[in-house]
Amino acid sequence: MSAPNEEAVGTTQRLEVDSDRCAGHGRCFSLEPDLFDSDDAGYSVVRHEVVPAELVANAENAVANCPEAAISLRSVG
Amino acid sequence: MDTFALYNPVELMDSFDPEAPQQAYHDLGTCPFTRPEGNKVLAKRADIVEFNRHPGVRANDGVHLQLGAKEPLIPLMIDGEEQRTYRRLLDPLFSPKAVARLEPKVRQLTDQLIDGFIEEGQTELFSSFCQALPTTVFVELLGLPQADLPLFLRFKDAVVRPEGETREEQLAFSEREGQVMRDYLNRVFDAREAGGDPGEDLIGGFLTAEVDGRTLTRSEIINIVYLLVIAGLDTVAASLSCMLGWLARNPEQRAELVADPSLMPSAVEELLRFESPVMYGSRYVSEDFAVGEWQFTAGEWVDVMWASANVDPEAFEDPLTVDLRRKRNAQIVFATGPHRCLGSNLARMELATALDQFHRRIPEYSITEGQQPQYYNVGVRLAAYLPVSFTPGEKSA
Repeated sequence: MSAPNEEAVGTTQRLEVDSDRCAGHGRCFSLEPDLFDSDDAGYSVVRHEVVPAELVANAENAVANCPEAAISLRSVG
Repeated sequence: MDTFALYNPVELMDSFDPEAPQQAYHDLGTCPFTRPEGNKVLAKRADIVEFNRHPGVRANDGVHLQLGAKEPLIPLMIDGEEQRTYRRLLDPLFSPKAVARLEPKVRQLTDQLIDGFIEEGQTELFSSFCQALPTTVFVELLGLPQADLPLFLRFKDAVVRPEGETREEQLAFSEREGQVMRDYLNRVFDAREAGGDPGEDLIGGFLTAEVDGRTLTRSEIINIVYLLVIAGLDTVAASLSCMLGWLARNPEQRAELVADPSLMPSAVEELLRFESPVMYGSRYVSEDFAVGEWQFTAGEWVDVMWASANVDPEAFEDPLTVDLRRKRNAQIVFATGPHRCLGSNLARMELATALDQFHRRIPEYSITEGQQPQYYNVGVRLAAYLPVSFTPGEKSA
């Protein structure tokens, strides 16, 4: 049986925000509120460090829209 | 060498079109560029993001103050740990959640301004709407009387576009007008202190906010408000005029946006990217370092071109095309790094709310026949003359 997304499905995706880079643009939590929250000052807080499979595309969208390249999404095992 | 005169680096190029400068900003990014005076001009998005976050990059050298300032303006002209301390105090006052509370007020003020011209079927939008809205919102936010509005308009015009033939005359002019504003703010604080109630507005927030266990001094607050007036009044007015100007000239995309208001957030990001009203910033280099192919030397000034970064083909697909549904849009019109625009969330909310309410009342509009909009591209890009026509409507009240 072919499974074109086997790799994505089979691995865990870890979402991180580099707080040194985050400058509070607020793009991530306005675009993807299921994955990000904001602190009192308007800086990014990750809701799910391990991204649920159905939200991986949303996490990629947040990475693509961060002005500071502060968000990373990487496979862990 | 005059590093600080208002200018637009792109106007040094041959192909500059005041109404549509995007091609020129794009071309600037294709080769490393140095101004005749010696300033490097950074135009690639990736270079700018790396440059701005380097600890050797400062917004100011602490000597060459602009905007009629007598001391470095907080937080724009401050760097390092001191700047971060001020931002920790100021950021919560301008967070997305904090500014969302102002949305109903912005909508109401938008309606009031539209009532002023909707029966006429035509208006010059810059003065009747774009300039009036953010100024009114700002005075409201500070908790100051609307009757003082002309004083704020005069002040920001005086420091952003100072009168005078020479740079010295312009500096003297903006310093004189700056003093008028400081005197006014001193009277405001005298009255607040005499009344015993700091107030629920932004000035009240400054009076009660604590940073590292201490409250702000009066001179610090006046300094902060001084910058807020400049930053809050001019840039949103300019951005709104650029956006309405573009939508007036592009009826198909406007119709799509009117039909589907859920497009508004991505449309605002896209028009901010394409129009890039604040086209560049100046940065001071305090130590030697390299970014990409650039070598920077302590003591030099660099022009950082947000407007070029926002049409960088390596960062944006088809960058010279406006796509109101653009999915990948990491535009940097609010700057990057520690000096990211403090008011960016307020600006976004005002722009989205104003456009949405404008479209509810006036869904179709175009540049008035036989007239030409006038764009200026020095300091801040704006449509300073924006004559539009539409089907007359009724007042809201």
